[in-house]
Amino acid sequence: MALLEDISERYKEKVLETHSLLGDDTVVISREILPDLVRFLKEARGFNFLMDLSAVDRMGKDPRFEVVYHLYALESRARLRIKVPVAENDALVPTLTGEYRSANWLEREAWDMFGITFDGHPDLRRILMYEGFEGHPLRKDYPKERRQPRVGPGSRPETAFERGPSIEERIAVALKMSGVSVRGENGIRNEIMYLNMGPSHPTMHGVVRVMLALRGETILASDVEIGYMHRCFEKEAETHTYTGVIPYTDRLNYVSPLINNVGYAMAVEKLFGAGTTERCGYVRVIMSEISRVIDHLTCIGAFAMELGAFTVFLYMMKAREYLYELVEDVTGARITTSYTRIGGLKGDLTQDFAGKCRAAFIGVRDVLQECDRLLTRNRIFYDRTRDVGVISREDAVSCGFTGPCLRATGIPYDVRKAAPYLVYDRMDFEIPVGDHGDTYDRYRVRMAEMEQSMRIVEQALRDLPDGPVCLNDKRMTLPPKEQVYTTIEGLMNHFKLIMDGHGIRPPAGEAYFPVEGGNGELGFYVVSDGTGIPARVRVRAPCFHLVAALSHLIQGEMVADVTPIFGSINMIAGELDR
Amino acid sequence: MSVTYLPILLLFLITGAMAGGILYLAGVIGPRNMTPAKAMPFESGIPNISPHDRPVPVRFYIIAMVFIIFDIEVVFLYPWAILFRKLGLFGFMEMTVFLAILALGLAYAWKKGALEWD
Amino acid sequence: MGLEKLLQREAVTTRLDAAIGWARKYSLFQYPFATACCSMEYMSVACSHYDIDRFGAGLPRWSPRQADLLMVVGTISHKLAPILRQVYDQMCEPKWVLSFGVCATSGGFYDNYATVQGIDTIIPVDIYVAGCPPRPEAVLDGLIKLQEKIQKQKQVY
Repeated sequence: MALLEDISERYKEKVLETHSLLGDDTVVISREILPDLVRFLKEARGFNFLMDLSAVDRMGKDPRFEVVYHLYALESRARLRIKVPVAENDALVPTLTGEYRSANWLEREAWDMFGITFDGHPDLRRILMYEGFEGHPLRKDYPKERRQPRVGPGSRPETAFERGPSIEERIAVALKMSGVSVRGENGIRNEIMYLNMGPSHPTMHGVVRVMLALRGETILASDVEIGYMHRCFEKEAETHTYTGVIPYTDRLNYVSPLINNVGYAMAVEKLFGAGTTERCGYVRVIMSEISRVIDHLTCIGAFAMELGAFTVFLYMMKAREYLYELVEDVTGARITTSYTRIGGLKGDLTQDFAGKCRAAFIGVRDVLQECDRLLTRNRIFYDRTRDVGVISREDAVSCGFTGPCLRATGIPYDVRKAAPYLVYDRMDFEIPVGDHGDTYDRYRVRMAEMEQSMRIVEQALRDLPDGPVCLNDKRMTLPPKEQVYTTIEGLMNHFKLIMDGHGIRPPAGEAYFPVEGGNGELGFYVVSDGTGIPARVRVRAPCFHLVAALSHLIQGEMVADVTPIFGSINMIAGELDR
Repeated sequence: MSVTYLPILLLFLITGAMAGGILYLAGVIGPRNMTPAKAMPFESGIPNISPHDRPVPVRFYIIAMVFIIFDIEVVFLYPWAILFRKLGLFGFMEMTVFLAILALGLAYAWKKGALEWD
Repeated sequence: MGLEKLLQREAVTTRLDAAIGWARKYSLFQYPFATACCSMEYMSVACSHYDIDRFGAGLPRWSPRQADLLMVVGTISHKLAPILRQVYDQMCEPKWVLSFGVCATSGGFYDNYATVQGIDTIIPVDIYVAGCPPRPEAVLDGLIKLQEKIQKQKQVY
């Protein structure tokens, strides 16, 4: 690949290795050239997105850690993976916060989970765990069940709430970074009022803590604290089989669980170098798009309710129930579906799915039309959301925005069109784009996307081919029961896939697979070491980047604007904190 | 005239009695357990929040004042609305003078920027 | 000034208990301490299709001063535990706790360093509704059982 050759030639012996296994361009470098390389890639080759930054603990190998960067170029649609090996006793890597704003929170997470220090980071502190927590949990030598409770039996006083930094200390850093001085221009002390929008608050979005420094009603600076829903998806993935991880993926973005299932399954299938059957491709697309409609209905419903339009919430929940009944028919569960399997699906669509789907869509379209009449040209809604929470295109790209929030700024990036997977390249649909980058545009983009999703489902139902839904591959798919009970090969195959110590074993390697989630690019980076348990599963969570930019979005706005801005971002705690 | 308003008086008395009665009953039946946690202000569950004894920006005071003045003005308009026909032209001229004075005040406040937040 | 002190324990208050229980059970004000996936099912229960309002428990109040039923919806992590404790402490008696979902009941299938293995290690729980997430009908069943419990319990004055 021309890019890899350019990099090797430019940096010569500092580039340790380059390869393009499984189609992912990868370059392994030593850490000194990292800032220079990233600057070169950003300015000369157009890699304007830092999609993901994480680390892998290769316990037993030397050097122990590997910091992995995934970059993406918007115009050329090129992807690059950069790996920087660091040793355990010298876990220091230069920071990228100067190049990409999204690096700020990503590096904090890598520090929190692995203990890798980023040289030059302005505010390196824990993000998912709490003050007083000892150790770095995603390291392989940290036992999964070692709890450090803060209250109740076994709690240590160091982790107790009162020991953490106070609200003023936290905001002092944020105030300094946004250039506001506590002393005003003429020496008069600025009356800064601190407000805490705590983890348990009426907006039904989950648990996020926003600390605000206010002057009157205007927000000078803010600090967002997450991690209240950290459920250790990545650590759990390292102790379960590949199929056993699938229920954990449901609970990531729990409003669109099928998209997570599909993304993970496709990442593992990429490791195998296999795909799925054609029918499976269509069914996965159908279920993903239904899930996307559910996601947008929930987002807009909750967001409108917080602005006072309770009716819209009730109508959208009614529409959501029609779709939940559909999903339950096919997968067996309303929310936590666990529908995909490696190489296929749990089961096929039901016989009467097409009829029921059409009936459900009539109901959903009715509701959407009604809510459109209620909200889109509503004076109050428009005034509260127009020019509120504006973000420019450059800032959005630098912050790592993807999905409806990025499309609201005018950039038509959608993984389904940029890197089509399954059967999206055969579907005819549009990408709705906004232009102002404000809350109102984010709302409009989501409403338009729901219609497009329903279009895709109708096309897929029309073209749905017959055939099996699971790939006929011994390495992944359970053989049919007739073969298991009557032939020895079937029995052995079944045994090898089920028993402990065997199971689905992709060849050693790594794969990154992006899908278009409800909030943007949902990427799964799966590292396999050849055994039946994954070595590392990393989720590139789209709303992590969106919430990281929340401080930037609400600065200068009033307190009452925090609600529509936060609602339009569609933060899902399961995906944010993983 | 007073007889036509008797039902309203009755309504007020019954409502007052019911509301008062329910509150009294709740006070009698409800348990009294004061603990330190209950005495603290509710800050979304966070135990230690910075003390709220900082001076509040003067902007809030100005907005409150402007609101009170114009709210009282509206309250004065209600009896006029009921007795509109009876007061006739005289009443109309009087109220026009009243509204004009307050409109002058509104124009001054608007010009001076009291209606803007920043 | 509680009623018992007033009566100096001279009268047996069973009929009064039943009456007060009846009043309390049909006017539950919930505090949905919503965190995770179960909050999707909470939304479904609260909305028109499954409608918790017909049981009298339809008004969510996000303030411990105004609520008497704390519904812990979803996973509680150790980071969030002191906040749950504080919210429970700030509620006034009489108060009940409904543990919504297996993550709140026992930690669910998250047996790891960040998840509280059941909120009953932190606060006392009255009703456990299991499920991942529980179907709205299961939640309503749990609510009805809670209402029976409230009716039959010795009331606090």
